[in-house]
Amino acid sequence: MFHWLEKNPFFFAVGVFIVIAFAGLIEILPNFAEASRPVVGLKPRTVLELAGKNIYMKDQCIACHSQLIRPFKSETDRYGQVSLSGEYAYDRPFLWGSKRTGPDLHRVGNYRTTDWHENHMWDPTSVVPQSIMPAYKHMFTNIADIETAYAEAVTVKKVFNTPYDQPNGTKLGTWEEAQKAALEEAKKITADMKNKDVKDAVANGQIPEIVAMIAYLNALK
Amino acid sequence: MQSNAALEYDYSVAKLFTYTAILFGILGMTIGTLIASQMAFPELNYLFGEYGTFSRLRPVHTTVVVYGFTLSGVWATFYYLGQRVLKVSMAESKFLMFIGKLHFWLYFVGALVATISLLMGITQAKEYAQYEWPIDIVIVIIWVLWGISIFGIIGIRREKSLYISLWYYIACFLGVAMLYLFNNMAVPTYFVSGMGSILHSVSMYSGTNDALVQWWWGHNAVAFVFTVPIVAMIYYFLPKESGQAIYSYKLSLLSFWGLMFVYLWAGSHHLLYSTVPDWMQTMGSIFSVVLILPSWGSAINMLLTMKGEWNQLTENPLIKFMVLASTFYMLSTLEGPIQAIKSVNAIAHFTDWIPGHVHDGVLGWVVFMVMAGLFHMAPRMFKREIYSKKLLEAQFWLQTTAVVLYFTSMWIAGITQGMMWRAVDEYGNLMYSFIDTVAVLHPYYAIRALSGVLYLVGFLMFAYNMIKTMSSSRELTEEPQFRSPMA
Amino acid sequence: MDIRNIQGYASFFMTIFLVIVLYGYIIHLYRSEKRGERDYEKYGNIALDDEIDSKPIEENPKAMSENEEQNK
Repeated sequence: MFHWLEKNPFFFAVGVFIVIAFAGLIEILPNFAEASRPVVGLKPRTVLELAGKNIYMKDQCIACHSQLIRPFKSETDRYGQVSLSGEYAYDRPFLWGSKRTGPDLHRVGNYRTTDWHENHMWDPTSVVPQSIMPAYKHMFTNIADIETAYAEAVTVKKVFNTPYDQPNGTKLGTWEEAQKAALEEAKKITADMKNKDVKDAVANGQIPEIVAMIAYLNALK
Repeated sequence: MQSNAALEYDYSVAKLFTYTAILFGILGMTIGTLIASQMAFPELNYLFGEYGTFSRLRPVHTTVVVYGFTLSGVWATFYYLGQRVLKVSMAESKFLMFIGKLHFWLYFVGALVATISLLMGITQAKEYAQYEWPIDIVIVIIWVLWGISIFGIIGIRREKSLYISLWYYIACFLGVAMLYLFNNMAVPTYFVSGMGSILHSVSMYSGTNDALVQWWWGHNAVAFVFTVPIVAMIYYFLPKESGQAIYSYKLSLLSFWGLMFVYLWAGSHHLLYSTVPDWMQTMGSIFSVVLILPSWGSAINMLLTMKGEWNQLTENPLIKFMVLASTFYMLSTLEGPIQAIKSVNAIAHFTDWIPGHVHDGVLGWVVFMVMAGLFHMAPRMFKREIYSKKLLEAQFWLQTTAVVLYFTSMWIAGITQGMMWRAVDEYGNLMYSFIDTVAVLHPYYAIRALSGVLYLVGFLMFAYNMIKTMSSSRELTEEPQFRSPMA
Repeated sequence: MDIRNIQGYASFFMTIFLVIVLYGYIIHLYRSEKRGERDYEKYGNIALDDEIDSKPIEENPKAMSENEEQNK
């Protein structure tokens, strides 16, 4: 049998495939339903926060920041409560990261403010003198893509039944309603900001990336 | 056999992939050196505005090196040795020739577009699977073309038995195909909602599930791109260059099946202490340790192939490259399982020890082996001797020094950082703020940047040597059988 | 029986099965060589003797017929 396998490329390939697929079948598939159950009270992100998440992805913040607090006292002291599986239930993709060149951000919304983020993203060393993080000044001028964020929310609502528009939950509504809501949310954030260009842009109905980014970071709790 | 008298192996596709291996190698390592320097000297983040920050460039570095340099090397060697071990020339089939060329051009254009897309920030932000869905589709087509090439050339073979290297190439093809498809399942948002960017998509999996699928892929991208096809190379090039048959062919078969079975289980060691179920984390840990056996099986087999012929190590720099590569393979396949032990992982995870581990594997094993393979192929493909043996020797020592500097500095950096994060004073309070643990790493980051420069210089020496070999080296009248001739 | 149990049994028996297959393979390799049925080590020469006109270690019957046609 073995010798036959070595000479028949097709069945050889089938054999290799079975052997390598086996681990995935056992390890991953059976756990799917359980691992995607949300914690009680978890709300899907607002459109503005989703836009911020997309900027977090676009600028690859995960290259240096994790979003996963491990069950050690040193980590819970530093970053807050241990991360739970259900907290990530609506995160597509997961953004745990694999490297902490900078600190964990899973609960950064608990201990940093809009004002802190504004200064930090403009010039990290102005708040943390020894920081090696680059400044992200382009976020203050680039306009966030709210439309794509709305498209994403609609998609996850339709395809994956993410609970938007539930009582006491996150409201999504029509595109017009969502635009208005995002702008309202942005105005609340810019009230705490001092950059004049950003304030002007929001007053004119445009949302710079930094505002969406801060909305997302503040929502990480 | 008159009709076969004029028949020769056709290396045109292998040559094309050799060029891109050199090109993407230079590009990927230059970016790598730049971002390593950025960590030591943050001012370097502002060279190219929005497109030059560490965070934008890091995925460009990883993908160009993995999918640009390494895959080019894999395909160059496949299109070279695939013909030879099956004793059939690509010139015998117009169809395979066409598929091979299509494979190359689609890949080359696709790789350029993909790289630009990452610079623009169009990404699904999964490590080593950053590309958005349109590029994923192109990648699938490229992969299928390679599959047609593999099984097509096997279909017209003269040698009935498949040499062990081909087993590994087939495994690389199948493994990546399966894992890549699963991990990149995503829903393009435009087609559901009818608005927004057409390039954007959301993952089919969420949260913990996404993490599992991602690291099932992430870990096994290392398995099936950085290990399996590189083992395929060394199983051909080391025996051929030294004139010694593999020490034990049976051991090579066993290690193959062992590696295939065990490697996939180990993926969850990237998620220790995360929110994936405990039993899965333990499974990942255990299988990572078991993985030492088949890995060392291959590595020891390679070293024993040189039995009785160790004098070649001093005489032939290419043997030196390959022996060092298998030594680094042993080192990193021992280091990996150590990091996968839960208590070690508690300190090592999220620190610079992890990039340190990746780089002693990649710089020491993958790049060394690919370069040795291409050097071996050059005199046969271009019918000229290797341009300079002296340059080859100098490059060897320069790059070896660079690798040692890289992993020693990152070991120290990683363990320092891991210990400082958890250090508490006598009252149980944390001793260091996060920024203390960053500031302390500056010297190690500087050493790492230096090692990057050294390694890059070594790679440029390789590129120069190769280009000179192609263009102006002394011509050979007949193909060398074993040892590659060099001036 | 819930999915957890099935998962447990499947993983256990499949692992046992694959381990038996792997050991069976080792025994097969060494025994068939000892009995003289097969010489595995000769395949190592595929890499060493790989000129296009050198004789294959084991001819592929399909390719042989092609060669004959070409020779006519």
